[in-house]
Amino acid sequence: MNQPMVWGVGTSSFGRFPERRVESLAWEAATEAIRDAGIGAGEIDAIVVGSVFGPPGVATRVQRGLGVVSVPMWTVENACASGTSAYHEAVEAVRFGRFGCVLALGVEQLSTLFSGAIVPEATDPEGAAGLPLPGLYALAAQRYFAEFGVTPDQLAAVAVKNKRNGADNPRAHLRSTPPTVEEVLASRMIADPLTLLQCCPTTDGAGAVIVGGDRGRRDDLVVEASAMVSGALWDHRGSEVWGFASVARAAERAFAQAGRSAGDIDVLEVHDAFTIGEIITLEALGLAPRGKGAELAPSGHTARAGAQPVNPSGGLLSRGHPLGATGTAQLAEIAWQLRGRADARQVRRHDVGLVETMGGGAAGMDGNACVVTILSRQR
Amino acid sequence: MAGPISELGVGRPTKRRAGAAVGGLPVADPRPAFEDGTLLGCRCVSCGYPSAQRDIPWCPACYRPVEPARFAPTGSVWSSTVVAIPVGTRRPPCGLAYLDLDDGPRVLVHLAEPVVLTPGTRLVITGTEDGDLVAARRTES
Repeated sequence: MNQPMVWGVGTSSFGRFPERRVESLAWEAATEAIRDAGIGAGEIDAIVVGSVFGPPGVATRVQRGLGVVSVPMWTVENACASGTSAYHEAVEAVRFGRFGCVLALGVEQLSTLFSGAIVPEATDPEGAAGLPLPGLYALAAQRYFAEFGVTPDQLAAVAVKNKRNGADNPRAHLRSTPPTVEEVLASRMIADPLTLLQCCPTTDGAGAVIVGGDRGRRDDLVVEASAMVSGALWDHRGSEVWGFASVARAAERAFAQAGRSAGDIDVLEVHDAFTIGEIITLEALGLAPRGKGAELAPSGHTARAGAQPVNPSGGLLSRGHPLGATGTAQLAEIAWQLRGRADARQVRRHDVGLVETMGGGAAGMDGNACVVTILSRQR
Repeated sequence: MAGPISELGVGRPTKRRAGAAVGGLPVADPRPAFEDGTLLGCRCVSCGYPSAQRDIPWCPACYRPVEPARFAPTGSVWSSTVVAIPVGTRRPPCGLAYLDLDDGPRVLVHLAEPVVLTPGTRLVITGTEDGDLVAARRTES
């Protein structure tokens, strides 16, 4: 078995780019990652692409421009975890010696598909009934209000923190002056209690990660663990909110593989598509007990200067949410943080980082897929 | 920020099957069916697991056979929200709740009155509107 390493990362800018060809976003990310890894494009011997809305054939059009052709290539769709699922497959392929150097790519263009919020999937029982994703998260938030006494102010604190971080991210979709808690709560209601500033924008963009074995370069990052789980039944029998258990299952595997616990993690990028999502995720990762995750942002624990900074990139709330590209963008941020190259966003302790991405949209399951990976720099 | 969502998918192909409600081609309706005051679904002959889907191949909890079942329309709110944005052709406000049916599955219902309800609030499914299950507060007798 080989030790998988991250050799290089890259991303496009994130925003609404309806005038751009979708593959050009991927070229921007892939060329940066290839240069960052210090390799030639010809050294890539497999490509795994994560994308939710494609379009069909986008990966091949990306290949044509890069000239990385004829190698094994496949596209995975795991909802919002598509990019990290592609990365996970790259890691496992390197670990088991199937390939020596894999390009994991996430790419998405939503501005040419939806003019506002994503239209729910008509073939899903709850999508057909008109449950939008902010509605699904709002149902979890209302449950947390009733069960644990979580308050709207605590939700808003997550948005304030992440938008403050995002203001320092030149590639973020939203980089305006960070709002106050009051401004977050006063923004337009989307799905009670989630206001507009607590919802990620739909975004275009791409991210790329080059994964290979240990080639003796000190700048390469060690993949201590990578775990991917699909959803499990979520129904009347359970007391947990939607999404919690799928993150917890992936986290348990990842921490066991790395031989670490939540307290060992210096910096995290997690799935904050909506403010309540970050709270639930941090509980599922073990940073706080159930019902206490809402205290992490107001206390400063997860701030950039806090004990365990979460979403120093600005998260999905600021960087935006290019579904299939989000996981690879999160990986890029953690790579930059671990190498000490995150500029104004740099966190103080940066030895061990964690990325969590989860996606949903299928009724009756606690998620479509979740990936948790733990990376560290060489000492 | 958003244009009229009802125009999405009109006049141009997308990967997403938008459904007839937003101008796409029709797809099979996956929503639970309601008939004669009961919710149609199926139940496992062995463990009793209830589902609001009628066409599943076996019990997803224990893999034993399932048989058609009817569920009483009463239950308790697990959580609820009011959606304030248009979704497809639906105009806000739109009250939604996960309703745990008494001795039945958890189903997503539209609320007759769009207000956030405390978990545990008793509801009864009164019928459907454009295919959506609609539930109202129940006055216990």
